[in-house]
Amino acid sequence: MKFVIEGNGVKVFGKAVHALSRIGDEMWLDPLEKGLAVRSVNSSQSAYGCFVFTPLFFQQYILQSDVQQCWKAAKCKLNMKCVLPLFRCVAWRERGVDKCEISINIPNNRVMFRFHCRHGITKTYNLGYQECEALQAVFPSHLCPNVLTAQPKLLSDIVVHFPVSQEEVTLSVSSAKMSLKTFCDEGTRIKGMNTELSLHPDEFDYFQVGVDSAVTFCLKELRGFLNFAESHGLPVSWQFGVAGQPVAFSVEDMMLEANVVLSTLMDQNQEGSLSAPGGDGVENTTTAVADFSFGPAEAEDADIVGIADGERVASSQNSEVFSPALHVSKMIQFNRAEETQPRSSSTTPVTPASSQCFKIRSLLFGAVFSDGGGSITGDLPTLVCASDTEEDGGVDDGLG
Amino acid sequence: MPLSTESQTDNDQYILIASLDNARNLSNILKAISLKDHAIFNATQNGLKVTVEDSKCLQANAFIQTDIFQEYIIKEDAVGFQVNLTVLLDCLTIFGGSTVPGVCTALKMCYNGYGHPLTLFLEEGGVVTVCKINTQEPEEPIDFDFCSTNVTNKVILQSDSLKEAFSELDMTSEVLQITMSPSHPYFRLSTFGNSGNAHYDYPKDSDMMELFQCTKTQTNRYKMSLLKPSTKALALSCKVSVRTDVRGFLSLQYLVRNDDGQICFVEYYCCPDEEAEEE
Repeated sequence: MKFVIEGNGVKVFGKAVHALSRIGDEMWLDPLEKGLAVRSVNSSQSAYGCFVFTPLFFQQYILQSDVQQCWKAAKCKLNMKCVLPLFRCVAWRERGVDKCEISINIPNNRVMFRFHCRHGITKTYNLGYQECEALQAVFPSHLCPNVLTAQPKLLSDIVVHFPVSQEEVTLSVSSAKMSLKTFCDEGTRIKGMNTELSLHPDEFDYFQVGVDSAVTFCLKELRGFLNFAESHGLPVSWQFGVAGQPVAFSVEDMMLEANVVLSTLMDQNQEGSLSAPGGDGVENTTTAVADFSFGPAEAEDADIVGIADGERVASSQNSEVFSPALHVSKMIQFNRAEETQPRSSSTTPVTPASSQCFKIRSLLFGAVFSDGGGSITGDLPTLVCASDTEEDGGVDDGLG
Repeated sequence: MPLSTESQTDNDQYILIASLDNARNLSNILKAISLKDHAIFNATQNGLKVTVEDSKCLQANAFIQTDIFQEYIIKEDAVGFQVNLTVLLDCLTIFGGSTVPGVCTALKMCYNGYGHPLTLFLEEGGVVTVCKINTQEPEEPIDFDFCSTNVTNKVILQSDSLKEAFSELDMTSEVLQITMSPSHPYFRLSTFGNSGNAHYDYPKDSDMMELFQCTKTQTNRYKMSLLKPSTKALALSCKVSVRTDVRGFLSLQYLVRNDDGQICFVEYYCCPDEEAEEE
């Protein structure tokens, strides 16, 4: 298995690695027929990034002849700290690097990055990887009612106004305008600076608002992706729905496809108690995820994902804690080796009784490991610190 | 010249006098070997040799030959003493590191002999500073017994290419492995760190390779902690020669051009890591 990237492409690949490093500490490498998928997820599993480099991106793209064998064998998880230095000083490397060869040595559990540089110098790095299930998010972005497309410069210009320390922003759209503002709960005093930016639909290349909504998400993991999009000059598409549903940002051209999916805060008004089978996050995830891997006929069930209990913590107001569990839902599934299609049929049927108990949720990132390694969904994703947000009403209902 | 205000009689008592119009021509070279606090000075008719050693496994030498100095007087065949190198460097740069062109610190270094301190007269912009640094009995530098006849492999590289490699070396690796061979991979630096291993290959026909004379394939490992300080010398140099002998001992020789374009040499000798075997 060998992938060769030429000069300029190495710079692009390096920027993708940088963008992913802003999301998570580990990088999944997944050679597929459609391209090389490089993915990452953050520790709280509320942000996911994926770059798929199509064979056109590479000077050479050679999978093993036995494609099935290859899918089973080469799912690699690398430590981001090991990979990032190889692509550091990207600007410098661009001057010096003629090509980069990536290959996966399955018997030795090594991924090899070989850089052919100026003056005939070759730099070879053999990094150990962990074999794991592939990381993949299943997010039916085509079902999102709201889609905006903008030039990357516009997004960067917007995002630069928000201080790095204030991570959560609320994106509100109506057919008349789009606005982005610092997220703050009603009732909490304004701490520091709050920013609000509004844009007219004309500023966008494409502006489709099916449902007026306001979604709140964390900007931090997005910044790396926006840097990438700007350096690559590709328009960025945002797809989202109502509060609670994930928001996806994507760019695409012939050679690559990249997207970042972020979970969003649940709309407080829709909270309620849940009964979930057991407290086993993993079980729930399987069920949840299974719901998302579906075909068109099951589209109505798309929104129904059951997860964990709503926590009730005795506080002075005896109000429900703003539990992360209620606000993010699991989206990432770790495909079992034999499931090569992202949209395989449900592995665990959802019983009618449990469907009714579950409420509308956004997508969560969940890991289902067959070998038990890695993080499990017992620790549910955190979008905001639970302790900071004990009151409702932080999220707009939408502008409609 | 303010430094010549000293009377002739004072000059007579010194057994070594070395003067430089630009003290940086000495301080820069000494920084390249400043791995440890103590340096052994050995002055002869040919010039000044300064040696620093580390754990009996590594030796760094700086050579500043006579013609680098504006004045060089030595009254004995060999004059040797040991001083604290850190203190010496602090004194040489006592006026700060002024990079204003045309302004430099002038130096007159004097030594009376055994038991006397090393006296430095430093002048910049009309201000004179006198420093006296205590000297110690010089230790005998280790003789690594590295002679050209035993050299099995030798390459000379332009420093720029090695600078990149050294700045990127995986510091989690305990050793730096150097492979030299008449066949592929020719000249290879390898590290074995926490994340995996890395190899830097320089082919014999690279335009960075000025000389390639390898007679047999040798792979030797050297402690990273010993070799990493050589990066300072590498940074100053324009060319470096890498030689290994039959025992696997490593000699790195750096060609350094000082501010005035004159050439000085710095060399490092290093013992191979004991578990390593020649192949």
